[in-house]
Amino acid sequence: MATRRSKKKGGRGRRGANSNMLTLVIIAGAVLVLAALLGSGVLKGRGGARESEPVASFRIADYRRDGSRFASAGNTYVFDGRVENIETIGNSRIVSISIQDNPDERLPLLVPGDVRLRANLTRGDHFIFETTCTTGKAQDGSQVKGVLIVRNAQSK
Amino acid sequence: MKTGFVGMFLGALVIGAWSGEAQMPVQSGGTSQGTPQPGGGAALPSSFDASGSAAKPQQNDPTRRGETPPPTLLGMEIPLMDPASDTASYNGGLFDVGNNAAVRARFEKYLQQIPDDSAESKRYRKIIDEILKLTQRGGHDSHYSIGSETLIRVGKALYQANEFPGDGGQSGVLASAMVSALDVQRANLSKAAQNAAIDAEIDKLVRKMDHANTKNAWAARNFEKHKIKFTNDMKDSQHAIAEGTASVAEKKTEKGVNTTAIAAALFEAKVNYQFVLLTIFTQRRFDHVVIGTRVYRHLFKDGDTKLQVKEDSQFGKIFSQGTGMSPTINALDSAASNARREVDQNIQAVHSALACNRLGEATQQLIAAVAIGEYMQSVATFPTEARRRIAQYWTLRKRAYTALNARDYATVEEIASKMKELDTDFDDSLLLSYTTGKKRQSDLAIRNAMKALQAGDEEKFNKFIEEAGTIWPRNPNLDKGADMLNKIDAGDPLKEEFRNLYKLGEFRRIAADRERFKIVNMDPELAKQYEEVITLVMKIDGLLEQLKTVAQQDTTLGPCMAYEKLIEWQKEDNRYTQDKEMMIALKDYESLAHDFVQALRDAEGCEKRGEYGSALSCYYRAQCKYPGSNIAKEGIRRVSDIIVNATYP
Repeated sequence: MATRRSKKKGGRGRRGANSNMLTLVIIAGAVLVLAALLGSGVLKGRGGARESEPVASFRIADYRRDGSRFASAGNTYVFDGRVENIETIGNSRIVSISIQDNPDERLPLLVPGDVRLRANLTRGDHFIFETTCTTGKAQDGSQVKGVLIVRNAQSK
Repeated sequence: MKTGFVGMFLGALVIGAWSGEAQMPVQSGGTSQGTPQPGGGAALPSSFDASGSAAKPQQNDPTRRGETPPPTLLGMEIPLMDPASDTASYNGGLFDVGNNAAVRARFEKYLQQIPDDSAESKRYRKIIDEILKLTQRGGHDSHYSIGSETLIRVGKALYQANEFPGDGGQSGVLASAMVSALDVQRANLSKAAQNAAIDAEIDKLVRKMDHANTKNAWAARNFEKHKIKFTNDMKDSQHAIAEGTASVAEKKTEKGVNTTAIAAALFEAKVNYQFVLLTIFTQRRFDHVVIGTRVYRHLFKDGDTKLQVKEDSQFGKIFSQGTGMSPTINALDSAASNARREVDQNIQAVHSALACNRLGEATQQLIAAVAIGEYMQSVATFPTEARRRIAQYWTLRKRAYTALNARDYATVEEIASKMKELDTDFDDSLLLSYTTGKKRQSDLAIRNAMKALQAGDEEKFNKFIEEAGTIWPRNPNLDKGADMLNKIDAGDPLKEEFRNLYKLGEFRRIAADRERFKIVNMDPELAKQYEEVITLVMKIDGLLEQLKTVAQQDTTLGPCMAYEKLIEWQKEDNRYTQDKEMMIALKDYESLAHDFVQALRDAEGCEKRGEYGSALSCYYRAQCKYPGSNIAKEGIRRVSDIIVNATYP
């Protein structure tokens, strides 16, 4: 289970006092609902993902089918997984992790050489990975779609 | 007289009698001048000419080439006849038969005859035995003379025996010869009496002449005193003397003529009688020969027993070869007596051999007995059951020889097996070694022919097939060669069909009908293609069998591995993709390893769309399904490189 954290900001116009009041009430209600949900732990997920806002869950099966759909700008995906394999190519690494309760699946993550992680990745250990799904450009100019790039990782 | 000499003599006569004329021995004392045949056995044919007949050993004597002589046919059970060289053996000597078919026919006829045990036959035997007793030396009637009662009894008994059909008229011939000899003797006695009368007359004439001489002498002394008175008396005396002298001379001449006539008649009588004896001898009527020789001494009492045959004649040579002396009546008597004894011994040996189930040896002894003494009592009365057993064995032996000549080795072995059942002592090892060797030679030639066919050498194929057929015409494997030859004739349409199928990649159809398409090997180019097809199909079948085993052993990973192997092989060799069986197997394993296959296909699809993140994930999934997957491993490596080497915002 993964979660997406959005960095987008809310609305901008002002149309009057009534509307401001209504907005405040809605915001307050929303905050209350969110606080209640966080308190109950519903959005935490078993995969160990954390997020600031709830979105549709990240299913590896969906990712295998069409990874680029997860590459919306600004989305961050947090995975709680076990390192199954680390493939070092140049300065970068391809880390394949298994998600809890889904041992037959492997999620490949790119750890670029210029990314400094808080934890030292070791095979067989569990980590929390903060990733973004990105489309890059290959040397021949073609697109390299739906690559999960690790932005940060910490031991669990 | 030595036995070997007697045997040699008898052998020549026997063969002469059976083949229509007397033959000269080509060898004596066991020293062969012709084909070396130990024991007189027939040689197995060592080679055959184009007509299929066995090459004669004389023309193809292996010993002259320094080779080992071929083994003898059927061991020692054919002692007398050697059909390969037309020779017969007897007492260690080999004789040129010239017409061995006649000998065989005679023996077979004898085996089919019913033993002559009739009352009439017994009476005949009794008469002959009585005659033999009468003529025995030292008997109570031994002091008989010409015209004696004994000779008359012998003559009468011979005429009685002559009435028996089995006698063949030989007794009558001998009796007639005796009568003729006696007639001559009587005629000679008459002439001798005439000579005695002549002598008396001569004596009388001489006395008369002596008287006349005395008278004449007296007259001569008184002539001068009484000249005229005695002149006439003198004349009369002288005339009487002259007449007497002439008469004496005349009588002496008459006597001389008579004496010469007596000697001539005696000589002629002897010659005639001896001729009869020799004729009977050649007819193998040895009892009659013995009777005749014993009577001879009493018919001709002058003590001269020399046979009146020329030394350079056949009989003369036969008798003089052994001793270097002139042939005599005694030699003839001895030869006939020995023959009678040996025939009886042979028959005893036959009975002994039959009692021990040694049919080969019994046949050998019976042939010798029949050949020499066909008319002897012991041979003529040989029992029916014993004849039947020997006839059965003889027929088998004859069939074996015929089959051997026809090079039908399977039949020869079958017959040898039957002979072994009949004769416990029959040694079939030589025969079986020979037939086995020939069969192997033929099979080897067929194998070489097949190799030549596979090499596309039609000329060699024909040569080897012909060789195989020559060695063993009834070799069942020859049918294969014949089939191949037929296919050669019908080969062109088949070649065209093969080319089409090969072009279409229908290897399975070719392989399924590989025997029919084998003929295309005659064409070197098609032979390569044929070999390629058969090799490929066999290889695929072998691989599929291995994969099947693996998939059955591990139903989880096995199908994955099988699928991946098939994919790999198809990538290596495009011909695999045309094989129907392989494609069926691929479908089967694809179904069994569905998740693995799907993951790989998804990975490939993602790669094509540039979805490298997804592709890598798919490859990892495939690897999870089948950790040993090379395709997944390769895909991971390839996609990882692309991802790592890309630039990201």
